[in-house]
Amino acid sequence: MLILKTYFQVLKKYSGVVILFTAILLGFACFNFKTKDNAVGFSASRPDIYVFGEEEETGLSALLRDYLEEYANIRKPVLKDGGSGGDPQEDEAVEDALFYRDVAMIIRIPEGFGSDFLDGKRPALAVRSTKDAEASYVEMQLERFLETAGTLQQAGYSEKELIKRAREILWETVPATAAGSMDSEALSGATFYYNFANYSLLAGCVYAIAMILSSFRGKQIHRRTVVSGMNYRILNRRLLLANSLFTLLLWGLYVLISMVLIKDVMFTKHGLCYMANSFVFACCALSVGFLIGNLVPGKEALSGVINVVALGSSFLCGAFVPVQWLPEGVLKAAHLLPSYWFIQNNELIRKMETVDAASIKPLLINGAVILLFAALFVALTNLLERNSRRRRA
Amino acid sequence: MITHLFRGQRRYLERGKRMKKIIEVENLTKTYQELKAVDNLSFFVEEGEILGLLGPNGSGKSTTINCLLSLLHYDRGRIRIFGQDMTPDAYEIKKQIGVVFQDVAVFEELTVRDNIDYFCGLYIKEKALRKQYVQEAVELTGLEEFVKFYPKQLSGGLLRRLNIACGIAHRPRLIFLDEPTVAVDPQSRNSILDGIRVLRERGATVVYTTHYMEEVEQLCDRIIILDRGKIIAEGTNEELKELTGIEEKVTVELKKIEDRQVEAIRGLEHVKEVTRSRNLLTIIYGEGTNNFGKLLAFLEQESVRYDKIYSERPTLNDVFLELTGKELRD
Amino acid sequence: MFAHNFRYTLKYLLKNRMLIFWTYAFPVILGLLFYLAFSNIEKDEKLQVIPIALVKEEAGQAAGQGENPAGEILEETVKSLSKENDPDRLFDMEYVTESKAKKLLDQDKIRGYLLLGKEPQVVVRENGTEQTIFQQVISQILQQARLSQAVTDSPAMQKALSGISSPEEARERAEKVLEGLKQENPNIQDRSGDHLGYTVIEYYTLIAMACLYSATIGMYAVNSMLANMSRKGMRISVSPAGKGRLIFSGVCASYVVQLLGLGILFAFLVFGLKVDFGRQILPVLFLALTGSFCGLCVGIAVGALVKASENTKIGVIISVTMLGCFLSGMMGITMKYLVDKNIPLLNRINPAAMITDGFYALYYYDTLNRYWLNIGSLLLFSLLMILLSVWSLKRQTYKSL
Repeated sequence: MLILKTYFQVLKKYSGVVILFTAILLGFACFNFKTKDNAVGFSASRPDIYVFGEEEETGLSALLRDYLEEYANIRKPVLKDGGSGGDPQEDEAVEDALFYRDVAMIIRIPEGFGSDFLDGKRPALAVRSTKDAEASYVEMQLERFLETAGTLQQAGYSEKELIKRAREILWETVPATAAGSMDSEALSGATFYYNFANYSLLAGCVYAIAMILSSFRGKQIHRRTVVSGMNYRILNRRLLLANSLFTLLLWGLYVLISMVLIKDVMFTKHGLCYMANSFVFACCALSVGFLIGNLVPGKEALSGVINVVALGSSFLCGAFVPVQWLPEGVLKAAHLLPSYWFIQNNELIRKMETVDAASIKPLLINGAVILLFAALFVALTNLLERNSRRRRA
Repeated sequence: MITHLFRGQRRYLERGKRMKKIIEVENLTKTYQELKAVDNLSFFVEEGEILGLLGPNGSGKSTTINCLLSLLHYDRGRIRIFGQDMTPDAYEIKKQIGVVFQDVAVFEELTVRDNIDYFCGLYIKEKALRKQYVQEAVELTGLEEFVKFYPKQLSGGLLRRLNIACGIAHRPRLIFLDEPTVAVDPQSRNSILDGIRVLRERGATVVYTTHYMEEVEQLCDRIIILDRGKIIAEGTNEELKELTGIEEKVTVELKKIEDRQVEAIRGLEHVKEVTRSRNLLTIIYGEGTNNFGKLLAFLEQESVRYDKIYSERPTLNDVFLELTGKELRD
Repeated sequence: MFAHNFRYTLKYLLKNRMLIFWTYAFPVILGLLFYLAFSNIEKDEKLQVIPIALVKEEAGQAAGQGENPAGEILEETVKSLSKENDPDRLFDMEYVTESKAKKLLDQDKIRGYLLLGKEPQVVVRENGTEQTIFQQVISQILQQARLSQAVTDSPAMQKALSGISSPEEARERAEKVLEGLKQENPNIQDRSGDHLGYTVIEYYTLIAMACLYSATIGMYAVNSMLANMSRKGMRISVSPAGKGRLIFSGVCASYVVQLLGLGILFAFLVFGLKVDFGRQILPVLFLALTGSFCGLCVGIAVGALVKASENTKIGVIISVTMLGCFLSGMMGITMKYLVDKNIPLLNRINPAAMITDGFYALYYYDTLNRYWLNIGSLLLFSLLMILLSVWSLKRQTYKSL
């Protein structure tokens, strides 16, 4: 009891940093879970775009806008400075939106586009795009429109007929069904959250545990404890207990936050999987904390090592960046880090159609790998400790 | 008691006229919120003397020093050093002062020599001269073997010596030492005290604060005793001891003595007070010489058998006890 | 005095392992991590070949029915879009049975499959851009058939065919009309700039972080000289050396130490990781210098105003800097945009965002207006810090120590 009490008194001193990690997680989560329609079934992606054009669009220009509206969200920019020369296209808000992939494309419909087009001219549509998949999609639609309208124009249709025909052609789509029955949006959110929690959990646990261990194992305090009646083994056991309790609390806090933020998922079987997976990882983080606390002498060096370990394994294993974007070589190397298996599991849960014995199997294997890592770290810690005790004696 | 103090002060005032005063403090008062840390303090320090500021922890010694150095803002009073008013930017005065603080104040990242050189360099610009001064400080504090060490590698005593070296390397005329020997092993302590004597021999004036009365007795020419921010006594070691009214204290450890005999001792010449507790008999003499011999003769004559008998001179602790009714050390 | 203090400040700053780790090594390590994590993102951002499957009708059904022209066109077109080694290749297609297709879909091996029946149907598992493109391409193939029909019904065709009765002649005429139609080349002018790589923002936040970490150096140097902050400061305060000059030389030394670290980081980013800093190298360097100066001022302010142990102060600076960098996009680039858009004030007072945004403006914009705006805000922020510090540093005696 005494050690537990002292532990949490010492912990108070380091709680600021743990709160900071939690706040970053929370901030990150809140910014990323803007609630969207979570409709089950197929709905086409609708990239966001800006379209600039004439004030009053008629005829073909209006058709183009309608058509784009069908496949993309035409958004109105909130202009900042009106751009140089009053051209809204060059407004900073517009430019920024493109750079940060807020919109995939900016399209300018030139003055007199419709009538010129019907006269057989082909006025240019000026576009600026992010060149990513969404932009390619919009460009594809744009090309489709121009080809169709152009062919119809050459075939001699009048404006009215042309628009009617074009509508018939361009609005035709093949029916699509989504076989998946899951709310993939919410599951992505949950995976996102738990992937990011890799950082907060690792950094928070390791920081607090290693710092406190360093306090208890500090040269003078250690000596004082050793000469006291307290059995060394009992002390260690109590410390382990206190650290476990702390880890449990931190994990509980993060789960609680996820329950509030993504309640659609967290109260399903999938949610249970996320919880179990993060719990296993929290255990591993505990062992990492013990290892680092024993390995690194001095509190000053500790905070550096912890930052490198937490940020390093988060970056390399895909906590911040979607796993599929990581280079292959990095992912291979990441197999050596427990975070990799934790994040792989989160990805697996996201893709799981149903939770049953068969689908859970790979999760269990990955979980076992994490526990294996934890065991390895514990063994290493014990080895180190035995050595250092012998040296001291 | 008041009359004693008065007599003492008058004597110093007279002597003060003859000697040059390095520090003059008038009515210095400093309060921390409710607490009066320094209460209307007035004193002076003469050239070439070692002045001891003695008092228990929290009596206002360090606060007084920090006020003298213009580090602390004080409420009232006037401080003159070398005959000029001391202010934060009195650089001409500061040039001639050396300070050794209670806590070790050195750069962890610099070696022993670099530390001394850095702090010396704040006073002495000329490089060759500085080099010589640093070497002297190293020798004075006995750090020759450790000049390339980092502070972390030094033991507590050595660290204290480095702390002193950093404070005095620039050959100051006036040196403040604020409890330089707290938690120092006896060997280092003696080396430190010797060093201070050497500095005085070179002509420096020293203000020395401590709560170790032995150090003050050994070292100081003149002593000011502080309690709760007030001067309760000042004078030389001898003069202060006079204040107690005790000349000699004889303690006899004996097996048996009759009340009649105790009464007889009380009646002996110069005896001021006799106390008896169990087998210890304490006899305090107010004045006179050869008291001890006379007591021995009396005991012989009465055939009182004793195990041990010894005579003591009064200590500053007795002075403090006499003046405040409490022990100097808790 | 200036030289003396400058020299020793350099010496003790460079020997402080913790400071050197945070200001020299840590940014380089983070840079390496960024490089490892982000080097692929932009490559993958472009449209990839989409794995799909084609399900022909089940054998039993096919026997009972005749040819399905729409299905044939679909199959042929998808096949041609799946040709290997074609630079415009869109799909990676395989023929499978429906049950196999479902299995592949569940295992995430394909994005979707096309059921060729009387009514062609696309089946996917979840929503997404690739799935949408798949559906749209199939739709377009169907639209193409309708377009052909429209051409057949067109006024031009009707005019050509009017009064002709022989089918031979009619076919000839029709072919002529079709040949007469020019190939439509959509006239889309791509005016995208070439500085679109957006992972550079990560490196910009990194530099911002390195700049702001100079606060630890500045704080440490100033702390050492203040009587109410450190014992060393007490010793220095009782010396005849003027406080203003000491602090000035200490700050100069800190700046040199900081610039050295920044130089290492820049060398690593430019030569090691080949990060593109846009067109103008001089403004880039100027911004880095200004950013470091701002960091230094923050450090001085923390050193002068916050009364706590050195380690606590370093902890405060590092944590606050991390938070600032997080808000300016270090752990996810969209964060900066979201903050800029929704809570612009937050990034207007966040020096990390000012530095990051300055680099961004240099990289992405052709004009320097926004760049100068950021430089201006940084200087303003620094000035504020200096004023706060001076106000505190002017005190020469203290109420308590």
